[in-house]
Amino acid sequence: MSTINVKVAAIEAVTPLIKHFTLVHEDGSELPSFSGGSHIVVTMDAEGRTYRNPYSLMGSPTDTQAYHISVRRQESSRGGSLFMHEHVHVGMRLKITHPVNLFSLSKLAHKHILIAGGIGITPFMSQIEDLKRVGADYELHYAFRAYEQAAFVNELEEMCEGHLHCYADSQGERIDLNALLSQQPLGSHVYVCGPSPMVVAVLETARNLGWPENNIHNEEFSSPPVGEPFKVQLAKSDIEIQVPAEMSMLEAIEAAGVKADSLCRGGVCGRCELTVLETDGGIEHHDHYLSDSEKVSCRSIMPCVSRTKGKRLVLDL
Amino acid sequence: MVGSGAVLSVWLIEEINMERGYWIKSKPVYTSLKWHEKATSHLVLATGIGGMAVLKLFQQMHPTQPVKVLYGKYGQMEADYSDTLKMVVPEGLHIHKFDDALLTQFQLELRDAQMGLRIYVAGSEGFIWDVVAAAKPFGIQEMEIMKEQADTLARSVYCVHCKTISKYVTTNITACCGCERMLFVRDHFSRNLGAYMGLMVDAESPGELPAIEEIYP
Repeated sequence: MSTINVKVAAIEAVTPLIKHFTLVHEDGSELPSFSGGSHIVVTMDAEGRTYRNPYSLMGSPTDTQAYHISVRRQESSRGGSLFMHEHVHVGMRLKITHPVNLFSLSKLAHKHILIAGGIGITPFMSQIEDLKRVGADYELHYAFRAYEQAAFVNELEEMCEGHLHCYADSQGERIDLNALLSQQPLGSHVYVCGPSPMVVAVLETARNLGWPENNIHNEEFSSPPVGEPFKVQLAKSDIEIQVPAEMSMLEAIEAAGVKADSLCRGGVCGRCELTVLETDGGIEHHDHYLSDSEKVSCRSIMPCVSRTKGKRLVLDL
Repeated sequence: MVGSGAVLSVWLIEEINMERGYWIKSKPVYTSLKWHEKATSHLVLATGIGGMAVLKLFQQMHPTQPVKVLYGKYGQMEADYSDTLKMVVPEGLHIHKFDDALLTQFQLELRDAQMGLRIYVAGSEGFIWDVVAAAKPFGIQEMEIMKEQADTLARSVYCVHCKTISKYVTTNITACCGCERMLFVRDHFSRNLGAYMGLMVDAESPGELPAIEEIYP
């Protein structure tokens, strides 16, 4: 995939755990324009390994001078966010992919209900720019642990005027999803980005209230979970690869020099789907792409986030 | 006879392909009406023999959520299920004589409706897509509406030359009611227009027409 060479122009600590990075083109030229909800994948060359993490673009889609991403420090993850927090400095060069939108606003919607949890606020920040530009009707519901830890509340208050509703868990404030989603006009669409339990709650509530699938949108990038090490055999390439506990299978395949397709690297888009030829222990599916029946059949796997429970896995690659 | 022009070859290819396994993605596939389990209210629309689909819905059950049924006793067929529907649907049944009145009430219902309302339609294909068109200004997408085709197979045909839609076409080839060109009725369907594409069939050899047959009775 073609990449863009960028330079870190600024780093700002938004909260003790969240850093905001401003990226500009290495040679000062304009960056590709994008639509609200798009993300990029940032490649980080760390000592001995490469991280590729997806981050939502949160700047205005009309600003092609700079891209803005925010990274929450994840202590118990594989290290990509720690690398961004500890090793990336102003002036450093990074490689990013072109923006891709897997969380786009519906052009047919009459009203947009945006629900964000914590760092899940980022894709909505670019979407709000789009919504304001076309004068669309929207509500933003933003839930977080506490005001001290919440990113961009002041900016959002200014951007959204009366459309913003904040909920601080520390003050016992919760979004009443049932009340929110049971009183929306026809043609409403709901969008959710946040921690997994929140996404599940929104999807379930909307479905139980009879919202059509088409009107429900979610973005839930999973970071590849840490698992047990295992061996994967690539049938066409005729090689065997060891997948360490804290590395995703896709990363291990790439590190071995085998070309594998990928796009979101978060179990959402389905681009990296591989056919499973043999498995001795079943598959731990962590993606949001395959249907439940496809997951049970164990014929396909998303190597960006999923692993095997067994010792041996043979893929058609 | 082998057509040399692009227009002529379209129907030739389609007629050959229609033999077996021929399938075009744009052609709608209809279903049998079945209540959505998850809904906050239901709105059922039917005309003519489509009333039978409504009766079958109430055979499945009478939902706990509020239900409204708008029935039109007009249509191609004489079938009129008004009296049976009055017995089966004790409240929320509205019977109309003309489709304009039915569709006007439909839009009035939509004006105050909220997310969670599910819509069902049974009737001729023309009626189904009239309902889709009436729902569109309310932000309702076509795939959200459950559709059962009843009554005639007659097609609405959009003339790709003069953009007129001829309604109730029952034959493979028809004269456009706008420009009078002889049109081959394709399976290519526009969800936006609610009509099948009609292409001039004798553009290259005027007057030379394949046999005209009633295949959409």
